Amino acid sequence: MTDTARLSPAEPAHRQVSVLRPHPRVSLLLHRRSAAVALALVLLLGVVMLVSACVGQAYVSPGEVWHTLRTGSGPHELVVGELRVPRIVLGALVGGALGVAGALVQAVTRNPLASPDVIGVGHGAAAATVFALATGAVSSPGALPAVSVAGGLAAAALVYVLAWRHGMQPSRFVLTGVGIGVALGAVVQLYLTDSELEAAEQVKLWLTGSLNGRGWEQAGPLAVVCLLCLPGLVWASRAVRPLGLGPETAASLGVRVDRARLGLTVLGVVLAATATGAAGPIGFVALTAPQLARRLTRTPQLPLLSSALTGAVILVGADLAARTLLPPLEIPVGALTSLVGGPYLLWLLGRR
Amino acid sequence: MTRRLAVRPPAALAVLGAVLVVAVAGLLSLAVGTRPVAPDRVLDALLHGGGSPDALVVRSLRVPRTAVGLAAGAALGIAGAALQAVTRNPLADPGILGLSQGAAAGVVVAVASGLAGGFGGYVWYAFTGAVVAACLVYGIAARGRGGASPVKLALAGTALSAMTAGATTVVLTADSATLDQFRFWQVGALSGRDADTVGAMLPFLGAGLLAVLACARGLDALALGDDAARALGHRVGLVRGVAAAGATLLTAAAVAAAGPIAFVGLAVPHLARRMVAGGHRVVLPLSGLLGAGLLVGADVAGRVVRAPAEVPAGVMTAVVGVPVLVALVRRRGAVT
Repeated sequence: MTDTARLSPAEPAHRQVSVLRPHPRVSLLLHRRSAAVALALVLLLGVVMLVSACVGQAYVSPGEVWHTLRTGSGPHELVVGELRVPRIVLGALVGGALGVAGALVQAVTRNPLASPDVIGVGHGAAAATVFALATGAVSSPGALPAVSVAGGLAAAALVYVLAWRHGMQPSRFVLTGVGIGVALGAVVQLYLTDSELEAAEQVKLWLTGSLNGRGWEQAGPLAVVCLLCLPGLVWASRAVRPLGLGPETAASLGVRVDRARLGLTVLGVVLAATATGAAGPIGFVALTAPQLARRLTRTPQLPLLSSALTGAVILVGADLAARTLLPPLEIPVGALTSLVGGPYLLWLLGRR
Repeated sequence: MTRRLAVRPPAALAVLGAVLVVAVAGLLSLAVGTRPVAPDRVLDALLHGGGSPDALVVRSLRVPRTAVGLAAGAALGIAGAALQAVTRNPLADPGILGLSQGAAAGVVVAVASGLAGGFGGYVWYAFTGAVVAACLVYGIAARGRGGASPVKLALAGTALSAMTAGATTVVLTADSATLDQFRFWQVGALSGRDADTVGAMLPFLGAGLLAVLACARGLDALALGDDAARALGHRVGLVRGVAAAGATLLTAAAVAAAGPIAFVGLAVPHLARRMVAGGHRVVLPLSGLLGAGLLVGADVAGRVVRAPAEVPAGVMTAVVGVPVLVALVRRRGAVT
């Protein structure tokens, strides 16, 4: 079940695309509107990141932020260099990873309601973390990200294996994922009602996702994983297009459908699980970013680059709000991603 | 690729089986608990009353609890089946129009403002929250090109749900006393509900049921796509609107009474469609029966698993239902 984005009637499809020939043997399709949207998103992301670096408990002017970044010293080194910048970079990475992961999973399942969370990643990560906290299996909090990544990967793998039967059917995949997710979610809920209020609050905080007190330590591994996934993403951006036409058409175009789906799913799950390990299970970004990006670029398939940029903008913006709305209280960023991205999606949906 | 021939029982047989399951689950729900009551004494208490401790437990505690479970389970099953047809999305569940989160927001407002005491007080806030959310979602999706298309409904519902959940979390972060009460409602449970709760919900359940059942043939046609449904003489917008409104009433009542119990509304319609080959005129009632049986059965199981402590029904539905769903989905391709 998909809805095809309508191309604007004023322009026929072939006029919306440029063919770039940098070399006689290389040709690239460039969807002009997508390129413009991606550029605009890059600028917007830059602005949001800069604002976030300036604003907080203490205001630092853009000039001083630039000076601090360039020299690595000065009166604002602690606030800007040590606290805000690492957190902003982590936010952009997490948001970007979630945005791409959402686009990949939605391309595989051809369902705009699907996201890595739907196929068990978020719930798996949450259940593993709660289990580790409840049993005291993990002594140091530093090991929790690794536990949650492992949980997310394991849950998604379990869903894939259970849903595999004579090939992969998207609807079967998604339904199995929801079932496993609900079962894992129930375990977490049970822990929340069983435990003392203090422990419940701690877990609830982690379950909502936050960038509070996080920085380079979490951003490093995530950046490495993102870099490792880049070649895969270049391949994916080409594989997504035929899959969007449906499995039969894709197969007749010479795409090995099951293999392509597995590849896209693995990429999406790895990115989403790593992002979850870095910042907790942040909902909504993976689901909305691709849908927002697609409505902005007006392309029939899900644009990976714009999805990543949209996700990054949503998360950095939400984190800015999380830090500054109710000072000195920090709101978990996962609670605000939907408040930042949601109204915009609703507006896009309701546009005449 | 080998295909086993799935022999489906005729619809009447499936419905009869489901009725039996519901009856057994209901009887167990009256008999099982920290104070076991033999089935013959249950019947005796129901028919003749009396003042024995057994009779009091059955009539004052377990009858309302069972009634809430049956009503909420049936409502969620039917609402889920209707919404999956309306949005043409197998992932649709009663939460999809923002209903569950709207209800949760209503409860948080009630608890945080100190307006409502106990579950009886939550009901109206939850109900109002759910209805307001559904109206917003439908209003937004109906604007713009193409009206309230399935995809726009689903996306608008998801976006509004997430926004509401975010706002709710902000309140709960700032106010741990509210979190302490809210987490017990959020998990979805049937304990501690009284007869007034059931009574208050009945008119809404009835109205929702009538609205959804009246659309049964239209929902069959929607599965063929909007154009085909129009060609068959159905008024697509009207069918969608009435069915969604009916599902809203059903869900709002169920969530208000029993908390946001997930999964029943999502999984039960899939089970029902596996069991019978008929259209929605069979699938809707069967979904209602299966939903009631699943929720009450899960509630009974929750009383036994860790006696004397109780596991909330919302947790047990997952434990009971997930293996069944996965097994069914594996057996044949998902019917969407």
